[in-house]
Amino acid sequence: MDPKDIKEIKSIIDLMKKHDLSVFEIEKEGFRLKLQRGASGPQATVSAPAVATGTAKAPSAGAEPPPAAKAIESVPMKEIVSPMVGTFYRAASPDTPPFVEVGKPVTEDTVVCIIEAMKVMNEIKAETSGVIAEVLADNGKPVQFGQALFRVR
Amino acid sequence: MFQKVLIANRGEIALRVIRACKELGVRTLAVYSEADVDSLHVQLADEAICIGAAASLESYLRIDRIMSAAEIGDVDAIHPGYGFLAENPHFVEVCESCNIKFIGPSSGAMQSMGDKNAARAAARKAGVPVTPGSDGIIETEDEAMKIAKKLGYPVMIKAAAGGGGRGMRAAHNEPSLTSAFHSARHEAQKAFGNDQVYLEKLIVNPRHIEFQIMADSHGHVVHLGERDCSIQRRNQKVIEECPSAVMTASLRRKMGNAAVKLAKSVGYENAGTIEFLVDQDRHFYFMEMNTRIQVEHTVTEEVYGCDLVKEQIRIAAGQPLSQHIAHAEPRLHAIQCRINAEDPANNFQPTPGRIDFYYAPGGRGVRIDSHVYTGYTVPPYYDSLIAKIITIGSTRINAIDRMRRALDEYYITGIKTTVPFHAAMMRNGDFRDGNYDTGLIDRLISAGKLSLSTRPIRLHE
Repeated sequence: MDPKDIKEIKSIIDLMKKHDLSVFEIEKEGFRLKLQRGASGPQATVSAPAVATGTAKAPSAGAEPPPAAKAIESVPMKEIVSPMVGTFYRAASPDTPPFVEVGKPVTEDTVVCIIEAMKVMNEIKAETSGVIAEVLADNGKPVQFGQALFRVR
Repeated sequence: MFQKVLIANRGEIALRVIRACKELGVRTLAVYSEADVDSLHVQLADEAICIGAAASLESYLRIDRIMSAAEIGDVDAIHPGYGFLAENPHFVEVCESCNIKFIGPSSGAMQSMGDKNAARAAARKAGVPVTPGSDGIIETEDEAMKIAKKLGYPVMIKAAAGGGGRGMRAAHNEPSLTSAFHSARHEAQKAFGNDQVYLEKLIVNPRHIEFQIMADSHGHVVHLGERDCSIQRRNQKVIEECPSAVMTASLRRKMGNAAVKLAKSVGYENAGTIEFLVDQDRHFYFMEMNTRIQVEHTVTEEVYGCDLVKEQIRIAAGQPLSQHIAHAEPRLHAIQCRINAEDPANNFQPTPGRIDFYYAPGGRGVRIDSHVYTGYTVPPYYDSLIAKIITIGSTRINAIDRMRRALDEYYITGIKTTVPFHAAMMRNGDFRDGNYDTGLIDRLISAGKLSLSTRPIRLHE
């Protein structure tokens, strides 16, 4: 399963939680996905539909949910959002390493990025603690007030 | 012509500016607060950047964030609309220093006319009659007492940094002067951060008549006639007309020339409005100047056949005054009703909330400038104006009857609006006779003379 699918499943899980849905089923392009919210949170079952005449192999029914999906549904995420309008930079300068990468632990005072506004480089602090799970903004691109920059686990 | 313009405003005026830009082929960048994510102007602009939380102080008044957005968006010019930063000379200076054209007057001209007391001095210097009053700021209550005695009561104490009808207190006699003096200063400090006040003779039951001027960057200044904005509730305009029912050709010539002379004397550029008070003997007195486009610019547009916002953008881009504006002639009569999210049956209490169903009137001679739609939630953080309805007619009475017809079709559910109030005004004898002054509404309301009937309409439910 590729990262794009995991992202899609994560957003479906969020939608289910938001609208209080208990079951979600989708079938497309050779695979079927069913998500069911139980007492322990959403569970995922993924299977390829059995093909009568084709040679495609179907994984065994009741396959283990992919580890990534399990990780997504069980840990709450926090977001670091932009407090200003400006240009987002991962590092202090083009030839220094980024302040943070995925997997880096942060505390409230850790500088996570720079947002440049009107020629002033503003160091942005995490203001939360945890581990960087995802980088959401693009280096060198404009960000607006409230835009999510990082996801923190 | 500019490539891209940033609109530093929201609501109906942001939409108005975006429409003008689109017609001129100029790209638009909207800035918005978190409360305005679903706003129509944000959806219609080519680009949009969120600049802060709902509160105006956190967003629409944040010069730093607006300039950041202007930089990221690589804009050539900023249109400030009205309110917010539209009459903030510091904002104009910031734009000037960032090499971004502010669509309006220079910071110098804005400063000369923005301080109400300095504006009176400029008017006196230009030979324009001003309301008799103090020669400058009044520091003490003793000074106020002396000047008031000389002028004769009643008097009005006004904030020098004021505007929009705020920071003013009337005193009808000597015993009430001291408390009026102190309350005016207190309110001025709270509303404008500046407690300087001056004194004016209070003209009883005046008409508020203002002149639209337009000046290009080549020294050419014209006026586009008057608007009568005497229908006010608590010093806030609610109904505006063009032309004024009490105007004569010779008075228009005198007042128009005075307006142009004053604008020229301060090197004014772009759109502006000179406000006068006219007493019952048709004497006119300069009151103040608004150095921006106004809410009621629409009625001038309908009568003089022009697009004032497009002209603002053209002038800012360095073009000379358009021919059709330089030689504009009035034709027909126009009226505007400001539709607010307020409950007229409940002391005009603001009524923010979700509009469940919205149907605006149409047909010949009806213009609606509005940013709202079915499902839109009117936020509680800003002013309550949700729509402007303008009707034109061959005569004043025809414009009024058309407005009456149109208001009877205006259907807005989910929130209360002032539509029924305007419907009652269109049927009111004094209004229809053109026989009114700035005190009319408050008199009608306190005498309980406005019947607000809701007409059942089976458009929905």
